[in-house]
Amino acid sequence: MIAYDRKSLDAQQTAEYAERWRKKGLFSEETSQQIREQHQSGFYSPNVFVRIGLAVFGAVMLLACVGLVGLILSPDSSQSVAVLGVLFGLACLFVLEVQLIRNKRHFGSGLDDVLLYAGTTAIISGLLLLFDMPGGLATYIVVLPFLVAGSIRYLDRLMAAGAFVCALLMVLHIAKDVPRVAVYVLPLTGMVFSLLVYRFARTGGVRVGWRYWSSVLAVVELLALLAFYASGNYWVVQQAGHYYFGMDTPPAGGLFWAFTFIVPAYCIFRGIRAKDRLMLDAGIACMAAAVFTFRYYFNVLPLAWAAAIGGAVLFSISWFSIRYLRSHSHAYAYEPEEKDTLLQRVQEEIFDKTIVGQAAPTTNEKTSMEGGQFGGGGSGGDF
Amino acid sequence: MYKPVLTDLVEKNILEPEDAERISTYENTKPFSLHWELKTMLYVGVLLLNVGLGILIYENIDTVGHAVLIVLIGLASAGCFWYAYRHRAPFSRGEVESPTPYYDYILLLGCFTFLIMEGYWQYQYNIFGDRYGLATFIPMVLFFVLAYLFDNRGVLSLAISALASWVGITVAPEEMLSQNDFKSQTIIITGILLGVVLAAIPTLSERFGFKKHFSVTWLNFSIHILMVSCLAGLFVLDEKAIYFPLLALSVAFYLWYARMRHSFYFMVVAVLYGYIGFTYLLLSSVSGFEFEFYLLYFLISCGIMIAFLINYKKHRNA
Repeated sequence: MIAYDRKSLDAQQTAEYAERWRKKGLFSEETSQQIREQHQSGFYSPNVFVRIGLAVFGAVMLLACVGLVGLILSPDSSQSVAVLGVLFGLACLFVLEVQLIRNKRHFGSGLDDVLLYAGTTAIISGLLLLFDMPGGLATYIVVLPFLVAGSIRYLDRLMAAGAFVCALLMVLHIAKDVPRVAVYVLPLTGMVFSLLVYRFARTGGVRVGWRYWSSVLAVVELLALLAFYASGNYWVVQQAGHYYFGMDTPPAGGLFWAFTFIVPAYCIFRGIRAKDRLMLDAGIACMAAAVFTFRYYFNVLPLAWAAAIGGAVLFSISWFSIRYLRSHSHAYAYEPEEKDTLLQRVQEEIFDKTIVGQAAPTTNEKTSMEGGQFGGGGSGGDF
Repeated sequence: MYKPVLTDLVEKNILEPEDAERISTYENTKPFSLHWELKTMLYVGVLLLNVGLGILIYENIDTVGHAVLIVLIGLASAGCFWYAYRHRAPFSRGEVESPTPYYDYILLLGCFTFLIMEGYWQYQYNIFGDRYGLATFIPMVLFFVLAYLFDNRGVLSLAISALASWVGITVAPEEMLSQNDFKSQTIIITGILLGVVLAAIPTLSERFGFKKHFSVTWLNFSIHILMVSCLAGLFVLDEKAIYFPLLALSVAFYLWYARMRHSFYFMVVAVLYGYIGFTYLLLSSVSGFEFEFYLLYFLISCGIMIAFLINYKKHRNA
């Protein structure tokens, strides 16, 4: 079922755990060495920057390939373009399976990603063109199996995310056409569907037999949480009601307002209580969405005051939480679980970059005071 | 998911059951880290506060007394710097751990408020007159001193961007292409010189073992300014004989650096810029070929680049 060698996947996972435990000093250097020697996956999984470089060059190469094939065969009808698309997609997947995965043992190399996405896109577009799909339900039905199969066979998180979105759209598409009660059914369908998928991802994520898909299922779990919230968020419900049914305010608005604030609060509480990071992070994101939703309808404070007060509140909450956690570190801690991971470095780099973007002087007027861009007195550009 | 791994290691006699038990206890009782969440909140808080205060001051410039506002902002800035000074770690030529978790953010807030105050002075009292250079020079010097004194890469980024504005270039990533007039030869030459200076400083620093960990910040500005300026020279000024050799030299320098420091980031960025420059040079020099020729060029050249990237230190991680 999986394109990659399972033993190698297991070896890779063991080596990753062993490295983490070694860093925590849970076993000796010799044991770690022994584990490393006995658990070599043999995969070609390069550094993330090389992966990006390979993906860029791979994509350009594929585009050139498409151009050449098109020029040489010069298909003259949409039918032949469609057939060519399907054949090209199949060729991509064949190269991916045989050359990259089986022979060269690529795993997350950038090239395998590009071939997978290009191949799937070509096959799907070819099929849609071939059967002249008008869009809507039929399109989702054609697309969904490919996305599901791709995420299962290639353990691909992006495809899993695509599959979830596709399935959700499909269900909502059906729900919105239910006569008379569609306006009530639509949010409820989103919630029920998301909850079911969430349950599935949660239970699947802890099954030992499904361990290869744990990161794929984590993506689905996070998306399901966000989709659950979005289904009941007042802004989403109101906008959807307006768009589909021409209603200015949704029925039972109070209920949706309550949902908008209670669900994020519950997610944050539950996330901290159950030490469930996905739930916690989703809760924080939803709480931010709830604040924006509220501001959209009730303009209680001017933007500047809201930003200043909100900023001060956030700063104080995190300040006191950090102070507290640093002196009372038991079940919860401020210290990072792993120091200096790539993600952390990227995060710091992004922080630095946005800070520079915010503060960099950009105009050659006297000052640039709007939007918080207080340039260093306002030089720059050309002089 | 760690349990099957432990069972497997015990079965293979690599781990003793007691060790496995200890690891299992660790996994079950390890504290739940809120680091990422709290740090992001802290950061968003600083950012919002900065934006909010900035707009508030802008809107209230005529209603609140100017002196009061300036004193308030000045106090905020001074307070932040005072905190940074009071809690500073002893100076070292190497990397220094932040003394407190929010230390870096308070220092940054101090820098922001300083910029706001300076902008206000200029807006209201026009203290720098038309000498805009001075207005970026002062924060630049201040930020460089603070960055090295308190060992902060965020402030160093601010200082470098102030340096770039002082010589007339915008370096914020999303504005680098839109805000700079790359049609002007002055800007292009300034950009190249700035890029060289920004690369020379960390190279010297590394040689003398002084704040080596700042190199990445310096070079990250340098590589983009240098390469974009060289490419602009190639594309816009169309002086291939000057700018292509400059580009080739820059790419060579960064490939050398990447090899020395095992940095995949600089290697890939240099390769991408180099490829763009070379492709432009080649395709603009030949003419009269069929479209297939160009497609074939991309097919083969990308194949070569892929082979290069794959075979470049295949298993090393940076």
